[in-house]
Amino acid sequence: MTNLNSRQRKMSYGIGIILLLGPIVYLGFPAEQNAADSSSGGLGKLAQMRQQYDLGEATLGKVDPSSSAMNLVLLGLRGPAASVLHLKAIEYQEKKQWAKLKTTVDSIILLQPHYVQIWKFQGWNLAYNVSREWDKVDDRFYWVKEGIKFLKLGTDRNQTIPILFHNVGEVISSKMGISDEKKFFRVFFKQDPDPKFEVSPGQRGPDPAINEEGKDSYLVAHDWFVKANEKDDNDDLIGVKGMTHVFFRQGPAKSLINYAEMRTKEGAFGEHIAAWEAGFKAWMEDYGREEFLGLDDKVYTLAPSEEELKQQAERNGITLMAQRKLWESNVKMVNFDFWRRYASAEMAPVTLTLHKTFFDAKQLYMQGKGFDRLDPASGMTVASEAQVKLEEAMQRWLEAKQEFSTMYEDSRYVDEALLIVQYWQAIHQQNARPIPDDYPLKSLWIENSGKHLETEREFQRETRGRKLQ
Amino acid sequence: MDFDIRPYDLSSAATSWMMLVGILTLISVGLSFVLSLARNGVSGVAIFTTGLGSYLGDLFSLSPKRIYALTKLTLLEAIRRKALLVFVVFAVLLMFAGWFLTDTNSRPELQVSIHVTFLLTAIAWLILPAVIFLSCWALPEDIRIRSLHTVVTKPARRLEIVIGRMAGMGIVSCLVLVVMGVIGAVWIYRKLPENSRSQLTCRVPVFGQLYFFDADGQPAATGINVGDTWMYRSHIVGNSRARAVWMFRDVNESSIVTDTIGTGDEAKTVEGLKLECRFEAFRTVKGSEKSVLQGVQAQYTLSSNPREEAFGMLSQGEALRPVADALRDGQFRNGSDRLKELATRVRTTPDELRPADYLGLQNGLAVAGVILKEMKLPALLPVQEKFDAASSRGIALLRVLQTNNATGATDKPPYAEFAESLETLAGGILESADLLHESLPKLEVPLPAFHISEYHEGAAENITVVPRKLRFAADYETLARFLSGIFEKWSEEGKLVEGNAISSSLVDSLQKDASVSPLNAELLATVLNEQLTAGTLKISDGKLAVADGRRWFAFFDDLIRKELLISQDTEGWLIEKDLLTDLVSNGFLRVEVACLNDQMYLGMARPDLFIRKPDRSFLVGYTKALVSIALMLMLIIVLGVTVSCTVKGPVALFFTLTFFLVGQFFHEFMMKMLSGQEQGMGTLESAVLIAQHRNPQVGMDVSSTTSAVLKGADKGLEGVLRVFSNIVPDFSVFNRGSSFVENGFDVPFNDCVVPAVAIFAGFLIPCVLMAGAMLKFRELEAK
Repeated sequence: MTNLNSRQRKMSYGIGIILLLGPIVYLGFPAEQNAADSSSGGLGKLAQMRQQYDLGEATLGKVDPSSSAMNLVLLGLRGPAASVLHLKAIEYQEKKQWAKLKTTVDSIILLQPHYVQIWKFQGWNLAYNVSREWDKVDDRFYWVKEGIKFLKLGTDRNQTIPILFHNVGEVISSKMGISDEKKFFRVFFKQDPDPKFEVSPGQRGPDPAINEEGKDSYLVAHDWFVKANEKDDNDDLIGVKGMTHVFFRQGPAKSLINYAEMRTKEGAFGEHIAAWEAGFKAWMEDYGREEFLGLDDKVYTLAPSEEELKQQAERNGITLMAQRKLWESNVKMVNFDFWRRYASAEMAPVTLTLHKTFFDAKQLYMQGKGFDRLDPASGMTVASEAQVKLEEAMQRWLEAKQEFSTMYEDSRYVDEALLIVQYWQAIHQQNARPIPDDYPLKSLWIENSGKHLETEREFQRETRGRKLQ
Repeated sequence: MDFDIRPYDLSSAATSWMMLVGILTLISVGLSFVLSLARNGVSGVAIFTTGLGSYLGDLFSLSPKRIYALTKLTLLEAIRRKALLVFVVFAVLLMFAGWFLTDTNSRPELQVSIHVTFLLTAIAWLILPAVIFLSCWALPEDIRIRSLHTVVTKPARRLEIVIGRMAGMGIVSCLVLVVMGVIGAVWIYRKLPENSRSQLTCRVPVFGQLYFFDADGQPAATGINVGDTWMYRSHIVGNSRARAVWMFRDVNESSIVTDTIGTGDEAKTVEGLKLECRFEAFRTVKGSEKSVLQGVQAQYTLSSNPREEAFGMLSQGEALRPVADALRDGQFRNGSDRLKELATRVRTTPDELRPADYLGLQNGLAVAGVILKEMKLPALLPVQEKFDAASSRGIALLRVLQTNNATGATDKPPYAEFAESLETLAGGILESADLLHESLPKLEVPLPAFHISEYHEGAAENITVVPRKLRFAADYETLARFLSGIFEKWSEEGKLVEGNAISSSLVDSLQKDASVSPLNAELLATVLNEQLTAGTLKISDGKLAVADGRRWFAFFDDLIRKELLISQDTEGWLIEKDLLTDLVSNGFLRVEVACLNDQMYLGMARPDLFIRKPDRSFLVGYTKALVSIALMLMLIIVLGVTVSCTVKGPVALFFTLTFFLVGQFFHEFMMKMLSGQEQGMGTLESAVLIAQHRNPQVGMDVSSTTSAVLKGADKGLEGVLRVFSNIVPDFSVFNRGSSFVENGFDVPFNDCVVPAVAIFAGFLIPCVLMAGAMLKFRELEAK
């Protein structure tokens, strides 16, 4: 108990308040930005420190007023509120209430706009888990887009986080390029199935939110990987949080290789070699020359010259042998050499000729030109156009193998050869002719008897009731 | 949306309520009497009697005028206490809601769901705190500052004060709700993107009962579980005999709607039954490109199948299946033979059949008897009696089996008698085989297949308008019935004969009067002339008849089996049936759903297929949802005021809040726990398991005595919970209305509004009585 009366007590409270207010005001003053050297000064110590360590909302990314309002309204209960919302989101997902799931996820990120794992997880969740719950392919595409848009929003809000930029590229690249629905998704990426993206009667354009310029999905992914690498360059950190650095940095080069590869598969042979050259160049000259830190923070590059290897050994203070070992292990880890050899083989004219010949042969087969025909001049039955092309493809394959003997032992080239034979045999069957005793790829066919079933399945998949584009 | 609301049984709820209120009244009165005796000794009897009399006097002399005055007072007081400030918060929320909600990129149905959910949640949860505070603090505060003294000194009874309080606060909350509701409705129309506004409607569904047929065509309660963690839907496999069967009741003229099918030039108006589905698809293979683009295919078959209804139940158990299958297929002679074989097995090797087979058989016989009786055909009476007799024998047999099983007795079950009754029944079926076949017609109308649009509520692909007049390719049985119907009638009218030959105008008549195609009419006339020449048909008394005296149905059935009437038309024998008169029997319509894609599955729950009656305005469902919310708020007021009559504000607040939270979020869990549906142990046992890091399968690591004590204590706690569960209202009932509107459905009056009203009324009456008594007998000076 004190002997102070009411007035004295109130005055002491007032003095206390003023005394406490002083340091708060001092600490809370806004900083004064110096435009010349980007340094900050002034009285606001907290603001200065925020700028110094890039912790201000504005420096992390675009500020969302609703997010800030929500956090202020909740006072200190942001954590529990976010936890409840996470539980709700799981429940909605389990009960397939997709609209509620999306709004809940949107609410979560209002509360935790800089929590990178949430952006990563929910972006993935929408693009992969939610998307696959839907039956029709256009619905699946819608949710893949939702996932991509969500991740894009994450990059807006967190402009200093490279992994989010990388994730956008990764989702675009893998969903459009290697998912089960890739055949449809690649088309939808440029011509969205949603009627609201109709540009002229019967002609759809892309959803500008994910593909503003209507480019190929791999090229859009490439742009995002480039941005991710730029963010990584500018973040003053060595490595990237959430991914092995050497894998992270290969995004742009890999997407260019994937782009070239997809063009080949889809029969877009115009600028085939140029596309492969661009991929090869990015792989060897950009990615291959980047410096990474290996075990014990030892520097290495993936495509060093002998001289560079020596210099790196010196920098690292290790022997050339140890440096070579470090290099070899990392090259093996990212399969660097395979992609180099693959791109080299693909940019060669002989490989282009092989792919093109086989593609043309398949087209002929799909168009029903696999039946023997009557030569009007001689009145004799001659081999079908498709068969002739397939036999030519066999020759081309052997020629290419001569040039790239190691590479052509890889399964993707062996599979292609087996498929050529499979088509060729199918033509013989449909013309009720026995398979000749000898043909160019016979030894390869016999050596790979274990793959016959898979090859037949692939043949069935390709020929089931549709024409190649 | 995951709703599967069963019809609310008002009468049974009312009975339970009366019992509970009666028990509570007796306990309250008894307890008061005992307390009075304990406090005042023998004179306590007189004091108790006087008090009770005074209370009853109050009860029967309530003045509406005084109640009105007190209500008005409460209303003014609430306004003075700034209860209406809640509007400001509401306005702020609506102003900024757009920041969080509007996304023009989202699909229309998602937009509507998001906006309506936000609006209804905001309205309910904003008024709620204000209502809880008002109801719990008002009376204790009046008592504390003695303003209540100025009221009680006037000729106002305390019961009237309670009623006035409740009514006043109820009116305040309703006023706030109405204003918010109106503003909300305007806001939603304005805020919703234009492409979504058309979705703002109330579908009126009529739900049916669902059961399944498995891939072998046998009835089953559920379909296949495809591994979904959410067990709401079960699946049927595609390209098999698996079916989901819905039975809709009360299908009549009012179920028929007029709807426009197609768009643009192809649009046409059709009168029919609107079926809407919300099926889920599950694939085990990627499927064809068509199915990837357009979705999994489903097909409805409307059917009227009394044979299935009568004999479907017989197919429980392998042993009975041959009998059931034959009878369901209409092969009654074969069914009779199979039944005889079964009777022989019962007589000679009865132990080969399991008790479950006997139970299934008895059930099946009883159901068959009931269905045949319901058909009210005198000709079927003898065979129906034989079913009943066999069922009775079955009951006698089951009784002995059950007694033997329960007591370990070794009484000889009356197998021989049962077998005899089965043989008699088999004989009866054989005798009436033709009659049964004719009296139990199966009519199946397959509708065109369609691709489902998964998770798109109300999408055009999911809506099928079944035309009132159905024209379809008849199967053999339907064709035989169709032709026999025509020929029986025309034969009676003498239209079939000209002199000693079949009328030359038969072909024209078939085309004009029976809508038979020219090719099939020609075929039929040719075949009939051949049959007449062959002597299978005869002409007597100027009428055409079957020579051996058989009925026309048997005659045509025979021709079809001999493949003499194979359609000459590629479309088959097209016939026309009326949906209501030919397919709906006793108001019931049966709809079978099949999945057409191989290795794919269709998932469904009971509410996933419904008859859609004409839509209502969004405002209808919205208003009903608001009424439900209003009832919830008023119930909270009633509870808050009641509790605050005897305890102070903070205690009343916590008590009411706890009641609300438990009733809102844990009522279902509580009921599941008590009914044993929720797996787990008792409270103490669970606590020990958690502390010991052990799972329920392993059990507690304690001595058997401790275990027994803990389990005993848990039983006691369960008893407390059981009592509690009878007192805590299920607040989630009041939110059901909102969930219907959020998903674009009208709020069903009987299943949502009535339970809400019943729960409110059920609490209102005892709470008013209790609160009146508590306020009357408490000492107001005791703050």
